[in-house]
Amino acid sequence: MTGMTPYYISRTIISVAFGALFAVTGSPWWAAILIGGLTFALFLWAPRSGRYSVHPEFGITALRRDERTQEINDKAARNAFVVSMLTLSGISVYFGTLALIDVPIAVFKLVLVIGALTYFVSDLLLRRSQR
Amino acid sequence: MNLHNCLKEIRLQNNLTQESLADTVGVTRQTIIAVEKGKFVPSAKLALELASALDTPFEKIFWLEDSRGG
Repeated sequence: MTGMTPYYISRTIISVAFGALFAVTGSPWWAAILIGGLTFALFLWAPRSGRYSVHPEFGITALRRDERTQEINDKAARNAFVVSMLTLSGISVYFGTLALIDVPIAVFKLVLVIGALTYFVSDLLLRRSQR
Repeated sequence: MNLHNCLKEIRLQNNLTQESLADTVGVTRQTIIAVEKGKFVPSAKLALELASALDTPFEKIFWLEDSRGG
């Protein structure tokens, strides 16, 4: 991991900025520190996670996906998109033909959550199936 | 037809760890593990880079085999 100083410096700045953003938008100081700390912990873990190949010569963009991790990412994103669109279609059909009311905003949030969950579960399962 | 390989054997003959081979060809160690176990089929580019890193002809590391056992 030699030569990674630009990466760590840039991620420290991002983590502090992220924590500060929470502080200035009304979060308690301890929550802002916690979020900044967790963000930095993620950045510390990333080079050792096996999700990225490490190229210190690229400086602050030292972490790159290789072809396998890129393929996993593409499949997970595709799955999330398909599941989100199918859910959205189902919701549109339900509210358009059965409930006969406008789709509540909270339902759209649910679609986002389902999409995000599909992405993370797909990513996890694809990684496990290739070990 | 499935792609088979003896990457692990040739890597060990060259006294290379999965990590050092991964660093040489610019991929993660998990990708080397997946290729060695036959769970990931590498692109032509990566397969050729692996052959080059191991200083071994491509066809000695990778070969096609009929999945029906023929």
